Amino acid sequence: MMTVQSVAPIARPLRWWARGLAGGALTALPVVLIGLAVLLAAPGWVQHLTTMALINLMIVVGLQVYSGNSGIVHLGHSAFVGLGAYGMAILTTPLAMKKLSIPNAPFGLSAVELHWFPGGLLALGVVWVIAWTTARVIARLSGIAATIVSLAFLIVVHSVFLHWPALFKGNQAFFGIPKLVGLPGVLLAAVVVILIARLFRDSPGGLQLRASAQDQMAADSIAIDSRALRRRAWILSALICGLAGVLFAVVSGTISPRLFYFQQVMLTLAMLILGGMGSVSGAVAGAVILSVVLELIRTVESGITIGGYTTPTLLGLSGVALGAVIVLCMALRPQGLLGHQEADDFLSRWLRTAPTRKR
Amino acid sequence: MTEYLIQQLLNALAFGAEYALIALGLAVVFSIMGLVNFAHGEVIAASAYAALLFAGLGLGAPLLVIGLAIAAAIAVSVTLERVAFRPVRNAPVTTGLLTAFGVSIVLQNLFQLLISPRPQAFPALNGLNATWHIGPWAVSSLQVMELVVALLAMLALGGFLGRSSLGIAMRAASRDFATVRLMGIQANRVVAAAFVISGALAGIACVFILARRGGVTPDMGFSLVLKAFVACVIGGFGSLFGAAAGGMLLGFIEVGLLVLLPQEMGGLKEALTYVIVTLILVYRPEGLFGSRRDLGDKEF
Amino acid sequence: MLHLDKVSVRYGPVRAVLDLELAVGQGELIALLGPNGAGKSSTIGAINGLVPATGTITLGGEDISRLSVEERIARGIAVAPEGRRIFVNLTVAENLRLGAALRRDKAGVRADTERYLTLFPVLAERIGQPAGTLSGGEQQMLAIARAMMSRPRVLLLDEPSLGLAPLIVTRIFDLIGQLKSEGLTVILVEQNAAQAMRFADQVCVLASGRISYRGTPRDLAGTDVMKLYLGGA
Repeated sequence: MMTVQSVAPIARPLRWWARGLAGGALTALPVVLIGLAVLLAAPGWVQHLTTMALINLMIVVGLQVYSGNSGIVHLGHSAFVGLGAYGMAILTTPLAMKKLSIPNAPFGLSAVELHWFPGGLLALGVVWVIAWTTARVIARLSGIAATIVSLAFLIVVHSVFLHWPALFKGNQAFFGIPKLVGLPGVLLAAVVVILIARLFRDSPGGLQLRASAQDQMAADSIAIDSRALRRRAWILSALICGLAGVLFAVVSGTISPRLFYFQQVMLTLAMLILGGMGSVSGAVAGAVILSVVLELIRTVESGITIGGYTTPTLLGLSGVALGAVIVLCMALRPQGLLGHQEADDFLSRWLRTAPTRKR
Repeated sequence: MTEYLIQQLLNALAFGAEYALIALGLAVVFSIMGLVNFAHGEVIAASAYAALLFAGLGLGAPLLVIGLAIAAAIAVSVTLERVAFRPVRNAPVTTGLLTAFGVSIVLQNLFQLLISPRPQAFPALNGLNATWHIGPWAVSSLQVMELVVALLAMLALGGFLGRSSLGIAMRAASRDFATVRLMGIQANRVVAAAFVISGALAGIACVFILARRGGVTPDMGFSLVLKAFVACVIGGFGSLFGAAAGGMLLGFIEVGLLVLLPQEMGGLKEALTYVIVTLILVYRPEGLFGSRRDLGDKEF
Repeated sequence: MLHLDKVSVRYGPVRAVLDLELAVGQGELIALLGPNGAGKSSTIGAINGLVPATGTITLGGEDISRLSVEERIARGIAVAPEGRRIFVNLTVAENLRLGAALRRDKAGVRADTERYLTLFPVLAERIGQPAGTLSGGEQQMLAIARAMMSRPRVLLLDEPSLGLAPLIVTRIFDLIGQLKSEGLTVILVEQNAAQAMRFADQVCVLASGRISYRGTPRDLAGTDVMKLYLGGA
């Protein structure tokens, strides 16, 4: 007879979605804690900065969904942020304001004022349509060609924002968007987005996509449809970025095209690289760390006063810092701070080795 | 009417030549070490700022400016390789691409920080831009020179790659770097040669850009390099011929749109160019002149 | 001519070659035999420098183990690598030219080109063609000719029979025999034991990174080493 009782019970492996949810929750936990702390204790301007940082965090997570899983650098994600933001702005701005800003909008849009919920859904719907269309193109390409085309997409969208003033107000600011959402709403959205990104990463499709990014031929040989998976990742990434844009519009109340251009691409890309593209936790960690560091650098950039002496304004310093973060990461730790590990990977390793460590 | 068409044809050729020069600079480096050099545009900008600096020091004679600008571009290009790209030489393409992107951001912001975010005027080369009367037509001297110089540069490059030992080694390295080292040819020499050529091409392009615009801005190179990348992609990334042909094609697409688009939609020229290019890629994902490297060749 | 002293190669935790001792005299051909993963190609890599290794390698009395790949080639090592690795996008002539990239004696290079085109007439027929259009056997000949163009003191031949038809293999080994008879020092890595032993002065059988048998081909023929490691002869 075998002594079954003496054998340590083998933990049944969790289903992927259970593990994804639990791991995603663990990744989101520090974000929630920081958010709540700021909400309860910090002054209004810190709350606003935190809200904006959380929107950036959502964009970084959205970027991770595509780049992290497909292994293709995506430089056009800010276009979807912009599309979400402009969609929301055009659909929900009060009619009185629209008379001032876009009186001659095509398709009768100057006579439309939607409630925030259908407005947001419709804006995401537009993002989805554009993402679906571009996905057909981008998924056909791989590697560098895909990266360059994603960049071309960014430029096309930006150029349309600038040169279709009847709808987008050109390079002027689009103002008068109702400010509906504050820190709590954005915090909730960020948590949801983290969970979705993590679920996608752990889903069978996400796993297959990561596999095909490592070895396309091997993936082909076991009949992984990597194009379909790249399309799926592209669309999900676009929707997450679009949601960040929708929130951006109703948090800040004013938007302009240059907010959704290279500056933002650089910032969010540097965040993702710093934390590590391979995991959602990396995206979150990079966004949190760089948001804090950059806020400090911005203070220096605009000139600080130390005992009566004011340093000159150093325009471009934060840009240099962002670029330097990318270059140094690539030279020293190309996989980012967290590599391909999620927060729960670290936790479970720590739990496994903890008993031995105590001794 | 013919005069207008000739003028537009020359326009397209001149723009195309400029894109081709820049695209070639990208393709030379990419074909040898798989680096997508986003910082190539900043090599152009750095060369322009260097020319500005020299002109400020009284070295403003046009020929001198041209020589110094090209020399500066080569120096910057080679320095970037030593400082930034050597650590990631054997890394995956993505790592190199992101490094170059980072370098590009650093340099653009350094120009802002150290010089000025505002455009700097640079009149020293304005003299190159005159109107020549060839037969019944009036043409821009700058455009003619740009076309001729670009063609000469391409011929020189072709000759170098086809005939000199280092050039042959560079072509070999574009396929199999390790085996080139087994021939006793130093990897650093081959890579340095690629960056020298790339820098020289950037310098030549810079001279014409300076002459046409008469000014320098921190981001002047970036948008040009994006177009050059697009040229490389439609030509087939890594193929030198493809880069040159893609650049020319891009010039024709742009000028064609300029001619065909109504005035009020002129702003969308750029957007439409990218859309057309992307549509080309839908039908030929490997580019017009690219080949699928992993198929067909007898390689182990 | 070439001495290996306690040469080891490690890939992370995996030991591919362990304390290898090898001595090749001037004009000798030494054959390294053994199954896949025995450490044969790693040994070649350790000698030419493409694979990081520990231990001492001397060439004609000079310690070359700290030198870079390029410096070792410049000292007289030439490689016809595994899988041939000819430059498919260059012509046959350009391939040969790169083989002689370090030489400055133009007349000598020209003479050698003539010589190898006579020795491998099929290459002469295809001198202007891209090397990628050559058949496998022709590519192998080009790889050997390209290596010989540097006038090497030692030639490292890594699996010249790989993927080739038996008749072509015999032909290629005939040529290797001829080069050897002209005084070339060769280290030959092979899976085809019968061919390798035709011209070998010394045979080393490698297994799991160590030499499990060493001797002349004649010694080897009678033992069960052949059966054990090489599946008969």
